Amino acid sequence: MQAQATQIIHAYKQAPWRVQRQYVGAFLLVVIVSAMVAALYLQVTAGAARAGREIQEMRFEITTIQRANADLETQLANLTSTTEMERRALELGFRPVKPGELDYVAVPGFVAPEPAILLAAEDVTEYSLPLPAEYSQSLIEWFDERVKSGGY
Amino acid sequence: MRQQYAIRSLILVAGLVFVGLAVIIQMIRIQNSEQAKIFLSQGDLYSGEFRMFYPERGEIYDRNGHLLAGNRTVYEVGVSLSQMKNPEALAYNLGLYLGLTYEDVYNQLMNSPKSWEYIVIQDYVGAETVTSLQQLMKQMEDVDDNSLSGLGFKPHFQRSYPEDALASNVLGFVTRDGRGYFGIEEKYNDLLAGNPVQVWVPSDPNKATEIPRVPNGTTLVLTINRDLQAKVENILDKALSNYGAENGAIIVMNPQNGEVLAMATTPRLDLNNYSSYFDIYDNGSQYNRSIGMAYEAGSVVKILTMAAALDAGTVTPSTTYIDTGSIDVGGITIYNWNREPWGQQDMTGCLQHSLNVCMAWISTQMGPQSFYGYMERFGLGHPTGIDLSGEAMGRLKVPGDTDWYPVDLGTNAFGQGVTITPLQLLMSASAIANDGKMVTPHVLYSMLRDGHQYNVPSQYAGSPIRAETANTLTEMLTVSLEGESSSALVPGYRVAGKTGTAQIPTQLGYDQSQTNASFIGWGPVDDPQFMIYVWIQRPSTSIWSSETAAPVFSQVAEQTVILLNIPPDMVRNQFGSR
Repeated sequence: MQAQATQIIHAYKQAPWRVQRQYVGAFLLVVIVSAMVAALYLQVTAGAARAGREIQEMRFEITTIQRANADLETQLANLTSTTEMERRALELGFRPVKPGELDYVAVPGFVAPEPAILLAAEDVTEYSLPLPAEYSQSLIEWFDERVKSGGY
Repeated sequence: MRQQYAIRSLILVAGLVFVGLAVIIQMIRIQNSEQAKIFLSQGDLYSGEFRMFYPERGEIYDRNGHLLAGNRTVYEVGVSLSQMKNPEALAYNLGLYLGLTYEDVYNQLMNSPKSWEYIVIQDYVGAETVTSLQQLMKQMEDVDDNSLSGLGFKPHFQRSYPEDALASNVLGFVTRDGRGYFGIEEKYNDLLAGNPVQVWVPSDPNKATEIPRVPNGTTLVLTINRDLQAKVENILDKALSNYGAENGAIIVMNPQNGEVLAMATTPRLDLNNYSSYFDIYDNGSQYNRSIGMAYEAGSVVKILTMAAALDAGTVTPSTTYIDTGSIDVGGITIYNWNREPWGQQDMTGCLQHSLNVCMAWISTQMGPQSFYGYMERFGLGHPTGIDLSGEAMGRLKVPGDTDWYPVDLGTNAFGQGVTITPLQLLMSASAIANDGKMVTPHVLYSMLRDGHQYNVPSQYAGSPIRAETANTLTEMLTVSLEGESSSALVPGYRVAGKTGTAQIPTQLGYDQSQTNASFIGWGPVDDPQFMIYVWIQRPSTSIWSSETAAPVFSQVAEQTVILLNIPPDMVRNQFGSR
């Protein structure tokens, strides 16, 4: 009876080399999964780093353009200042008008245009968009967030 | 043999495990030691920096969109000491380009504290100089010469005033610490400056954090008309020169809504060189005499007395008064400006000949309670509330004050013993020009922030007199100007106005030889669109307002109607009848 049982166990027991192969396979699976996770993590963090650098550069560019814009506005104002315009007008042969020299014409419905500065409306929405989390979140932080949110 | 190997293997494994455990324990011990905390905190210091993001200061425009105050980029020139390779070359070139001495720069570079990483050589350096230095650096780097290594430039904004001294008394100025002084720059400093934001910026780009948008300061649009301001300043400067006067002020305001169109005073400050402030002014009240300096304006105040008397029903335009040349009020005798009797006069005659005696009679007829009640309602002795910093209140003594005497009732009626600023009288008289409604003067037309425009509404400061009174008095003042063929008249336009020649009070009494010449007027009388106040301080060619301030009013009014496109009365009536 016992001999029969031993024979059955031997029949179903795997060969030692097969057990070893399973261990090696499991180990390799862990290594491969770990490598994949590491590669994914590396890719995400590298992407975040690249995006971060791009943001820094773009922000610098915005600041530079804003400075240039302010400089140009001031330069334009210098070139169109009262003293400068008067000097140029006199050079061109103009002289100040006298009250009796003016002719007035009634234009029905005419409304004097508002200055450009009052017409210009800056669109603020493009600036107010928050930076997406993907640009700053690590994989672990993303995973943690997903777990906390129940996968949603 | 096999057992021996097993024992050796065990010993080796045990040894390796021991070493491994020792390493791990040591790592844990080091990481949790007191020193580790210090090292960590030191590491954090270099992992990023707190950076303050300053918004660009808001710009200031005139009502037609001309820039009056903007910003330009200047640079902080400094040297990173750890990257510095050739201090001699740096000292030589920086000295050359920045106008400094070689020794000064060299000493700064070599004798700075050892803990310093960066040293500022000069700030507020213009873009042209920095461009030249950058070109020099590039040329040297092209030939592998790193002598200027470490040199750096940090850009930032500096306030810039394209019109230099134009409207300096209205604008004020901003010092290098970013604070506004005087005028609009001080009054709206918080709005213009915006809110700086401090952010922790990590050095590691992997830890890119969102830098919040720092909104620029609020941009302001003023009611000032730049071209009119320039004309008025020009007229004022010429008038002071022609009449040998010390200083002066001219204000042009829209009496219907209180918008100040021009406000010129002397002396003016080149706002791009504000450091000369202390060379020009003795005190802050001189910066803008229109609002900061109260004075006894004299006969221009008579229009308020007459307005009060007409409104109270004490007199009518046809009320007659026999002027004997003097009147006794509170035991003191008051005389006319020429000490002569003018005989029978109606109320228009009293204004036309600017009779002190007649005015004193009117105020005594009204009684102190009624007279001072009206003066209070006209706002005398109170600031106008204009949106400019540094406004003076002026002084109106009233019964009950320790320094009020009964004679003041008579003298106050013709502008003696009461101090006002030019703007105060302009505001008070706006009730006469504007159907009895008194406007609050203001210089801010609109604010622009984040794409939104916020217009400043007109504010009324009460109705001290009725509309009928205002219109009656305007007509009286118009007739009186036309009757004397005043030099204040403007061809083609009916204007109302009043002169004021006031002797200057001193500690020894009134100085007979020096005066403040003033004129207040408005037009066109059927639809007043401008109101002008002229103050000429101590004119020397003539002490009389009719010969100094009145013609200046006419010149300013002529320019005003041209620049504001106000057609002559005849043309307007033709347009209106179509």
